[in-house]
Amino acid sequence: MSAAPHVRLTMPARPEGVAVVRQALAGMADALDFDAAVLADMKMAVSEACTNVVVHAYDDSEGTLEVEMIADETSLTVHVRDHGSGIHPQVNQSREVPALGLGLPLIAALSDSFELQGRAGQGTEVRMTFRYARESDPAETNPVTGSVGDDGRWDSDATHGTPAG
Amino acid sequence: MDANPIVLDDAAGDVVVVVVEGEHDIYTAPALRDRLDEAIGRGGGIVVDLTGATFVDSSVLGALLDARRRAIEADQGFVVCVGDSVEPGIQRILDITGLVPVLPVVSGRDAAIDAARATPNGAGG
Repeated sequence: MSAAPHVRLTMPARPEGVAVVRQALAGMADALDFDAAVLADMKMAVSEACTNVVVHAYDDSEGTLEVEMIADETSLTVHVRDHGSGIHPQVNQSREVPALGLGLPLIAALSDSFELQGRAGQGTEVRMTFRYARESDPAETNPVTGSVGDDGRWDSDATHGTPAG
Repeated sequence: MDANPIVLDDAAGDVVVVVVEGEHDIYTAPALRDRLDEAIGRGGGIVVDLTGATFVDSSVLGALLDARRRAIEADQGFVVCVGDSVEPGIQRILDITGLVPVLPVVSGRDAAIDAARATPNGAGG
């Protein structure tokens, strides 16, 4: 494999930017030796991380979404970073698009490894690593548990028999 | 021309089909919610056809689950369908979230229309 470029994107943290990140990711993957299933997982996980920035990082103020893609011989690591209010799992329900709360469980299930760093007022960074060829399915190691609760949010303790209706 | 259209097809009469094509995420989720609201407002069964969808994220799942809840409350059938060949990423998110029986998801639009018509609670019987 020839050396892949180190890609860094910076854009306003707005909903329309998430598809742009996916396009860049697909372009990066073209230069690498990715299994198609891993590429699909990567697009999903990175989209969820970017969506978290758009929805949670800046409350009602403008801010930036930063994405960095770093390839090595065996894997691609994607950093998704904001400079917002830091990790705060409470969801702002007044948003036009209510969050389901499934983003981090999906990132855990779809990436070969991931790391979440952040402190109040210092922004948040999610680092996800995707191997070009996997030996095991990360969704088996870190399965998405739970189901949607009566409030429309994902409840990790719920079972699929419990949603309203 | 919209590369990621969401259109209502009411050819089935008492069941309206929300046809979702292309990539859908947090950017298009508000439009999907609007179309789902419109479909529910027609008072009959609702089918969401993801056959032509190439990407959906948790924003879309949230919109579908919310519409499903409201359809059930209004005693309207709600069924999601996919085609014989499902985009790997879409099958993947449905599989790992375990939402296939919850939404529910069936194969083929005709079967989905029948299910939405026959089961007002959308639970497949």
